[in-house]
Amino acid sequence: MASQNIGQSIPRIDARSKVTGQAPYPGDLAMKGMLHMKVLFAERPHARVKSVDTSQAEAAPGVVAVYTAKDVPVNEYGLQIPDQPVLCGPTLTSPSGRGDGVRADIVRFVGDQIAVVAAQTEVQADAAVKLIRVEYEDLPILSDPVTAMKADAPILHPDRGDSNVCVHYKIRKGDVEDAFAKADVIVESEYHTPVQEHAYLQPEAGLSYIDEDGRVTIASGGQWTHADRAGIAHALGLPEEMVRVVYPAIGGAFGGREDLSVQIVLALATWKLQRPVKIIWSRRESIIGHGKRHPVTLKAKWGATKDGKLIAAENEIIGDGGAYMYTSNKVLGNSAITSTGPYFIPNVKTDVYGVYTNNVPGAAFRGFGAPQALYMAELQVNKLAEKLGMDPVEFRLKNALRDGDTMGVGTPAPNPCSVVEVVEAARDKFGWKKKRRPKAAGRGGAKNGLPPIVRGRGFAAGFKNVGFSFGYQENCWAKVEIHGNGKIEHVVLHHASAEVGQGTHTVMIQMAAQALDVPTNIVELKTSDSATQGNPGSVSASRMTFMAGNAIKGAAEAALAKWEAEERPAIAEFKYLAPRTTHMDEETGFSTPNFAYAYSAQAVEVEVDTETGHVRVLRVVAADDVGKAINPDLVIGQVEGGVVQAHGYAVTENFITKDGRVLTDQFSNYLLPTILDIPEKVETVLVEVPDPNGPWGARGVGELPFLPYAPAVAAAIHDATGVWINEFPFTPERVLRALGKI
Amino acid sequence: MKQLCAVNVTVNGVSYQREVEPRLLLSDFLRHELNLTGTHVGCEHGVCGACTILFDGQSVRSCLIFAVQADGHSVTTVEGLAKSVDQLHPLQQAFWEAHGLQCGYCTPGILMTMIPFLEENPNPTEMEIRQALSGNLCRCTGYQHIVDAVKLAAEKMR
Repeated sequence: MASQNIGQSIPRIDARSKVTGQAPYPGDLAMKGMLHMKVLFAERPHARVKSVDTSQAEAAPGVVAVYTAKDVPVNEYGLQIPDQPVLCGPTLTSPSGRGDGVRADIVRFVGDQIAVVAAQTEVQADAAVKLIRVEYEDLPILSDPVTAMKADAPILHPDRGDSNVCVHYKIRKGDVEDAFAKADVIVESEYHTPVQEHAYLQPEAGLSYIDEDGRVTIASGGQWTHADRAGIAHALGLPEEMVRVVYPAIGGAFGGREDLSVQIVLALATWKLQRPVKIIWSRRESIIGHGKRHPVTLKAKWGATKDGKLIAAENEIIGDGGAYMYTSNKVLGNSAITSTGPYFIPNVKTDVYGVYTNNVPGAAFRGFGAPQALYMAELQVNKLAEKLGMDPVEFRLKNALRDGDTMGVGTPAPNPCSVVEVVEAARDKFGWKKKRRPKAAGRGGAKNGLPPIVRGRGFAAGFKNVGFSFGYQENCWAKVEIHGNGKIEHVVLHHASAEVGQGTHTVMIQMAAQALDVPTNIVELKTSDSATQGNPGSVSASRMTFMAGNAIKGAAEAALAKWEAEERPAIAEFKYLAPRTTHMDEETGFSTPNFAYAYSAQAVEVEVDTETGHVRVLRVVAADDVGKAINPDLVIGQVEGGVVQAHGYAVTENFITKDGRVLTDQFSNYLLPTILDIPEKVETVLVEVPDPNGPWGARGVGELPFLPYAPAVAAAIHDATGVWINEFPFTPERVLRALGKI
Repeated sequence: MKQLCAVNVTVNGVSYQREVEPRLLLSDFLRHELNLTGTHVGCEHGVCGACTILFDGQSVRSCLIFAVQADGHSVTTVEGLAKSVDQLHPLQQAFWEAHGLQCGYCTPGILMTMIPFLEENPNPTEMEIRQALSGNLCRCTGYQHIVDAVKLAAEKMR
């Protein structure tokens, strides 16, 4: 009889250690004889480092070592391309003579690092950092990507070409000019989406040491053990086998731990000193030191016919990549894919640019380029529906991508495409009724006599690829051991996936138990160690359930075959390869960029105080097609958490920079939503349209609930007030300005 | 020479005597001197609530007071909640059963905020629970499962 492990909300396997305070987070780790590290950050957006004098710091009490650029064997790193110095300093070439020769003498954002101090105590390390003397020559600050694109702008990475444009994707499908001539209605708008800070509650920290096999080992938070290892090994000039990455408990990630932060400098000090070294970043260091959600400017011109068919979309999207590439190329690729929304549009012209500036780098963050593009696409759809006098839900259903419809990239989304299912699910649960007459029609703008409190409702949809891809061969490793004699008594699953709070370890145990038809309580997980497990890929792009599930299924089947052949214990490894994808064509974008997608829709009700500008979200209905909810409570947790994080993005979190400097560098001035700020009611509808390649039909969930929220709230504010606000967060000041009150 | 101050403090029922620097925060004292790392530090200035502990039975942010201020007082951290390894506090049990956490970093601070709240108000309404949680940040859960866990804990504790 088949066991019932899939679809059960079993408790998290890590909950006990987390409620008792026993779960070890990176900052909790300690070893005998360990040193404490502090970093000297550049704290200036663009400058040439003329000299670094560490002599006073080296002589300070308790200091064991001070390292600068000249000490880093291969002084460069980066997840996509190695365009960032580990430490900035006047040394132009890496000591090893290897690497592409990133100009290490240039500081390109406030969070660039100049030196690190290892001392007996943290207080001593901190005191010594203040004794390091650095001579800078300040350079012109490029804080605006549009300025940085201009031909006469100073070039931030001269070794990477003669332009600051580091990413350009094109989509060319049909003939937009011809289609605009045939369109009955056209909507043109410009949108701005803000920076968002990940603000995981556990700031970057780690402990490095030499393990029993002589490997330099880094215990820190991350999202992909093997990518961390590759980046650290590269910078240290070591073979990867000499570097080991292990993950203790991780206090949130959301994309912000994909790029390296403390790991290389920790490893450098431990490798040179052969001693354990610990670091904990302060909250401020975390905020200036790691990447952010890209702020994006989006210009759109969309056309539709009077019978309600979308016929053309022309988009120009400019993403601020900040100082270094990080994952801008991948993030903005997703912006290109999602720039037409989950709709069939026969004529599309999209240009997406990523631009180097002196801002904190744009990086991975839940949604990965999709929230920005969907803000534009969904508001375009709402505005067109209004102009046509159509209900926005009906308009979406008329234009929803269906099986076989081509996306902007000229190929269909893999079947089954469930836009209609999620839109209908959100509509029905919300009780969305068509209005006889669009409220805003004929209203002469907002400021004429709005009552103090007005309410409105809004709708938006979204979609997101599962997995990286765009030609990259997605893969994931797992190993299964079956122990026992006559019957299976104990199972060991080996998998290096990062548990960042999303529940992946619990879900993997459920999937292994299901694949072997055993109860979950006999499955033991060995995890998060690059030295003893194969490459799991990243916990990002909503991919891990899909990828790990397939890897576990493959390993379990192979182990079962050995078990049946009487092997004891029966042990098998498996590397899952996802269906192949292709790169976007440089001129047209033509491609099959992804092997799976997941779809979502939301309906919201808001209340706007027209006297204070305060926006309250009263109710959210979130419908997400996750394919199959392996653990429904964990999936609902992802939805509720995603909606609230999106509420921060849309309403409360106002990240302010000035000339490349971060002004909101603490939790007291960067306002995360508290429980009293959030939507009063979040109702989750789990839609389960199985993906034929997903394990038990699963697609993915992590990013989905984030996607439609900001445009749905914008549409609701419009419904309530009659004004479209093309830029967010919807702070009281911005709302009052839009209402003409200030 | 740095001046050191004597601290006599009872933590989780055990009395400790230490000499500390006057500016050492209670959070750092608990974490680094006593190795009670279940008290987490998230923002270092009293916004996030992750470092909340019980100070003579009341919820206090341990990043906002000095270790020397604990002299002569009684402190309870998350490590002191469970009666034994096998017997969790009903509040801990409820957070486990009701999925009241994801990454878990905010959890100890939330538990230590809810203990005196539930003692004072064993039968809270949902709105009272929300108000009591409003000084603690959680970046993962969206708070609903935390509210559910507190409700379940209240049932268990009645």
